[in-house]
Amino acid sequence: MDITVVLQWIIILFLFAFAIGIVAPISGVGGGVLFVPLATAFFPFSVDFIRGAGLIMALTSALSSAPYLIEKGLANVKIVSPLVVVSIITSITGGIVGLWLTNAFPSGEYYITIALGIVLFFIFVVMITSKRVEFPQVKEVDVFSKKLDLTGAWYEPSFKRVVRYKTTNLPLGLFCFGAVGFVAGMFGLGAGWANVPVLNLIMGAPIKVSVATSMTIITVNDAAASWVYMAKGAVLPLICIPSVIGITIGARIGAKLSARAKPLFVKYLVIGIMIFAAILDIFKGLKGLGVI
Amino acid sequence: MSTKELQVDPMNKVFAKVMKICTWAGLIVMIVFGLLYIIGINPYINVSAVAEYWGEPAASFWRKVKDVEINGYWFLSHPGFMDSLSMIGVCLLALAPLFSTVAIIPTSKKIYRIFLSILAAEFIFSIIRPIIL
Repeated sequence: MDITVVLQWIIILFLFAFAIGIVAPISGVGGGVLFVPLATAFFPFSVDFIRGAGLIMALTSALSSAPYLIEKGLANVKIVSPLVVVSIITSITGGIVGLWLTNAFPSGEYYITIALGIVLFFIFVVMITSKRVEFPQVKEVDVFSKKLDLTGAWYEPSFKRVVRYKTTNLPLGLFCFGAVGFVAGMFGLGAGWANVPVLNLIMGAPIKVSVATSMTIITVNDAAASWVYMAKGAVLPLICIPSVIGITIGARIGAKLSARAKPLFVKYLVIGIMIFAAILDIFKGLKGLGVI
Repeated sequence: MSTKELQVDPMNKVFAKVMKICTWAGLIVMIVFGLLYIIGINPYINVSAVAEYWGEPAASFWRKVKDVEINGYWFLSHPGFMDSLSMIGVCLLALAPLFSTVAIIPTSKKIYRIFLSILAAEFIFSIIRPIIL
């Protein structure tokens, strides 16, 4: 391939990741969830390299914000540690299974592309139906959460006081994080879309704590899964670097814009694009299998 | 307690500090060498060769580009190339949670020490698994 054409693709990839970086914070939809299905639908790269880049993008984004959220007391390592002991295993398993499927079968790539489209529909349903509770009421704490003292506190500037919280339902939370870890590893997604509702609605963490703790969980899960992709040669700097730089710069601009306004139509527009990408992925997979 | 500082567990503070250092180091290494690679300086895999086969699944890509069955960390056996060095930056990023976890093990409470030790062991296994299995 002509080097000029290669550079054109690299620039397009950078601009694509940059645009995702801007709209992700405004819409509240994770960058990885947008990048992987859209890049699979529109770019000439194998889904292996797109998932590899998606994982590194999600990892970089989470690593950039998690330490600051931990320092503020919003993300809590006490809550993270029992959850990731389970999800790290499923996340690695997801990565292994995902890469095995694309490489062991001649049509494996198409099956993964179809599965990605189906998972996107599921994510869409979760996003549309799950509510967000600012401060969930935790009336009863299960014995494991009590024993581990899964509590915390942070200084909330809008209230000008320290807010304390406790979490519960650790066994159910462990099960959910196990399942989410598998999907994240298999498709190279960040999985904030699932982590936040589990922490907020099942375990009873306040929404700010849920978002911040989810970021920290993503750092561990995606870092572990990324070793699977690196060892299988599915992380290519040529695809990874423009994506990471693009989304990092875009996300900084997006974060500033979202602090001013979060127009609802942007969220619906992005969700609409997600659905479009899901349909395209399923179509691409079925076409590859010769079904249509 | 009324001040912001009193609320953050020292375990969390150390975790965040180590993560921040690793992230910055990883990002700088990954991006600097990655950009040098993209502009064509000393590549292990030629940029145009990558573009020729980037539509192939990973295993097939490596067979066609380098005639190898990939299972392990290719960049460690070919250091000195810009793409290999960029991958070292990615490794630093992927090591950040492990380093942060190990850093807080000695000072954490007993029950967390157990969780964090299991977590660190799982993490190390995920790194060495492709080499030993």
